[in-house]
Parts: sequence; structure tokens; C-alpha cells
Amino acid sequence: MHSSSPTPQFSAATTFEGREATVSLRGGVDDVAALELATIINAAIDRKPASLVLDLAEVVFIGDAGPVVISNAESRLGGVGVALMIRSPSALVAHHLGRAEKTPLAQTSPGNEHLGPEQLGMVDVVSQRFGSRLSAQDLRRVAGLPTDPDVVDGALNLVVDLALASIGDADGVSVSLRRHGVLSTVAASDRTIMEMDADQYATGEGPCVDASVKGHWFHAESLDTETRWPAFTPRARALGIKAILSSPLRAFDQPVGALNIYSRTASSFEVKDQQAAATFADKASVILGDAQIDVSDGQMALRFQEALRNREVLSLAKGIIMERAGTDEKGAFKSLLRLSLHQGTTLRDRAEAIVRSVDRPERGPEAGAA
Amino acid sequence: MIDPAMEARHVLDSYRQEAGLSHGELWLRYFQLGGMSTGFELEAYLSGALVPSPYDRDVIAHALNERFAELGVHHPVSYLAQFGGEDVTSGPR
Repeated sequence: MHSSSPTPQFSAATTFEGREATVSLRGGVDDVAALELATIINAAIDRKPASLVLDLAEVVFIGDAGPVVISNAESRLGGVGVALMIRSPSALVAHHLGRAEKTPLAQTSPGNEHLGPEQLGMVDVVSQRFGSRLSAQDLRRVAGLPTDPDVVDGALNLVVDLALASIGDADGVSVSLRRHGVLSTVAASDRTIMEMDADQYATGEGPCVDASVKGHWFHAESLDTETRWPAFTPRARALGIKAILSSPLRAFDQPVGALNIYSRTASSFEVKDQQAAATFADKASVILGDAQIDVSDGQMALRFQEALRNREVLSLAKGIIMERAGTDEKGAFKSLLRLSLHQGTTLRDRAEAIVRSVDRPERGPEAGAA
Repeated sequence: MIDPAMEARHVLDSYRQEAGLSHGELWLRYFQLGGMSTGFELEAYLSGALVPSPYDRDVIAHALNERFAELGVHHPVSYLAQFGGEDVTSGPR
């Protein structure tokens, strides 16, 4: 099997002689190529070789990530008692790797001759690359998410200004956000609007509170006839507010706040204003999603665990396809993608069906065609 | 076949914005489809600062397309992978 990287200088090929795998590299291993190398090595390891030779004879350059990938592969192989050997590194590469020719780490352990789904349960590449125990803060870091609240508030103030300028009868706009379980106003066009929001938090009711909690929009067309929020409505009327439109803000599919638009004119918000408000709320939601605002560590961890489970199912399915079709990991991904697109199912559902088909072989090999 | 290096910068990021996905959410989706790059790297791919491998490029494309499918839009992002002459992107739906 053969694979190539984004830069034409780098290429890699994996060959098997019996249960001895050789991964031969050519060209420069920059950080991007190193990622691909990690995938290639992992794919080779997933095929349970008795030994793995990394042939660097034709490598001209290895960046910072290369040694990390190689050392990860080494520890992964070491965990199952398989040897990693590095062949003929050039002086330059050897210097960068901090060693010369590598000797086997350990003797080969007797592997499983038959590869069932359990054996194909791939050792998690995540723990190779991202470390085995990740805190939610680590997750944010690896996901590259900004966490500075000032940056976020600045962006939200801009959303408020834009909404105020572009929605016809808007007299005030604010953004409410739940942080550490408490709803508060993080951006507002003026002091009256701040008070308006504060009154809703104090009474625990109002369109802003409802939109933030229930995650859909609330429109108080005329506060003179409004009955849904009896404690809050008189306070709003006292400040001269006649109409309110609150659109939910969401982060990671959770309602986390609201974009609130206030008017001193009843029935001032038309359908186009509601659409505009929804658009601004979506923009604000993207800002919040990027910043991970009030997605609690628990929620983030749950979301990540779900992603990990899905990834695991996909890994299993890829392993099964690799075994059946004798293809590499990328070929297996392509097969899965083709099946999923052709049948109009998600990749995850397709992967799950393939994993199940191993339990019930009478359903026939679904993944044979690569 | 599209050369990922030649792909106009920001094209993928425009799709991301159109799909209403934050960088973090797209990264999670990419990650659960088997992507191996960090969020920083993914952002670099989207902004054109780094060129994704063809494989990464297709994982990102599919993460976006699955989101578009949820929104009822049929796979607007094309793939680099050739599927044996059969145009699966316009398959039965």
C-alpha cells in the first residue's frame, strides 16, 4: 500500500513480509507529513506486525514533530512487546532523532493469528497524540479554542451595535449570557437596556430568560397586552418599552443566552426583523461556540466522550475493512465514505453497521468492496 | 481532481461559516471522523496557512457535508477522492 503527503517531497510506503512490517519514508518529514506518518505507522501497527522497521534511508529532513511521532510509535509498540527498528538514518536525521541505529526494544510476543473485532480494537491514536488523560482545559487547548472573555465581550458588543443599526425600530439591544450558571448581560446598547435585562433576572421571567433557558425565540409584540410575564412586564412598561424580541444563543447545541431587541413602539418587529435577529443571534452563537462560553467542563467532557466513542466505532469499522479488503487506513476511510454517500447514511451509522456485521456474519461482508 | 494546495484560501472556512459551525465544533466533528490534527492545525488548514493532506482535506469536507446534510443541504463540499468513476455525491437520496 502506498500513501503520499501534501508536499510532493514526502512519501511513504508500507510493505509486509509475513508479519514483519517495513514503513519506508522518502523526502522531508515536516510537521504536516509527520501527522500523516503517525497515521501510516498506526495503520501498520493495527495489522499486528511482529516487528516494525522504519526505513529512513531516503529521508532528508525531519521536523520537530517527527521524533514525537516515532517515540509515540515506539511506546505503543513497546506496550505490546513488539520491536521498532530504525534503519539507516542519515547523519542529519540521526542527529535530529538524537540517536543512531535503533535496536529492538523487546522480543516479539506471540500475536493473535486470527484478527477478530476485539483484536482490531485499535489502540487509541488519541492517547498517542494527545496524551492519555485529558482535562477539559486540555481539550480546549488541543481544540485551539480562545477562552479570553474580554475578546468575546468585544465581539458581542459589535453584534449589539450591528443589530441596533440594522433593525428598523430597535431602540436598544443586549446580549444575555449564562456564565457559571448565572444569567447576566455582557453587552448592551445603553443603561435602560441593562436595567431591562436586570429586571428579568431579578423576577426570573421575561422573554430574555425564556429564550436563554428554552432555546427558542420569544416575541412580546405589545407589552400592553402581554400576559406571560406578570412580574416583569409592568417594570418594562415603566421604562417605556413596548415590544421585545429575544432570540436564543446556542453553544454546542445548548441554549446559553439570548440576543434581546427592545422597542418603544408596539408591534414594531416585522418578519424581516425576526429573521435579521435570528441571523445576528447565529453570529453571536458562533462567537460563543468558538470561545466555549458556559459550556461547562462537564458538558465539554461529555461532548468529547461522545466524539471519542464515535471515533472508536469508525476505527473498528476501518480495521474490519482493512482486514477484509487488504487496504490501508485511508483506503478503508474512502470505502466507508463511498458506502455512506451512496446509501445516504452518516459515516458513523455506516461504520456501526459494519461493526455489527462481524457479530452477525450471515448478513454478509458489507465492506468487501474497497 | 482538486489540488488542496491550489484550493482557494478560505473556501473551506466559508463553508464552515455557512454551516454555522464554530472552529471548535468543526474540530470535534473532524476528530470523530478520525481526523488527527489539532484545532490549531485545523484552523490553519481553513485559513490556508497550512495545506491539509488529501486525506485530511476529505475528512474536513465530510465533516462539513454531514453538517450540511443535517441542514437539508446536499453535500456542497466536493471530495478529492475519486470513487471509481461512480459519482456517489449525486447518488440516490
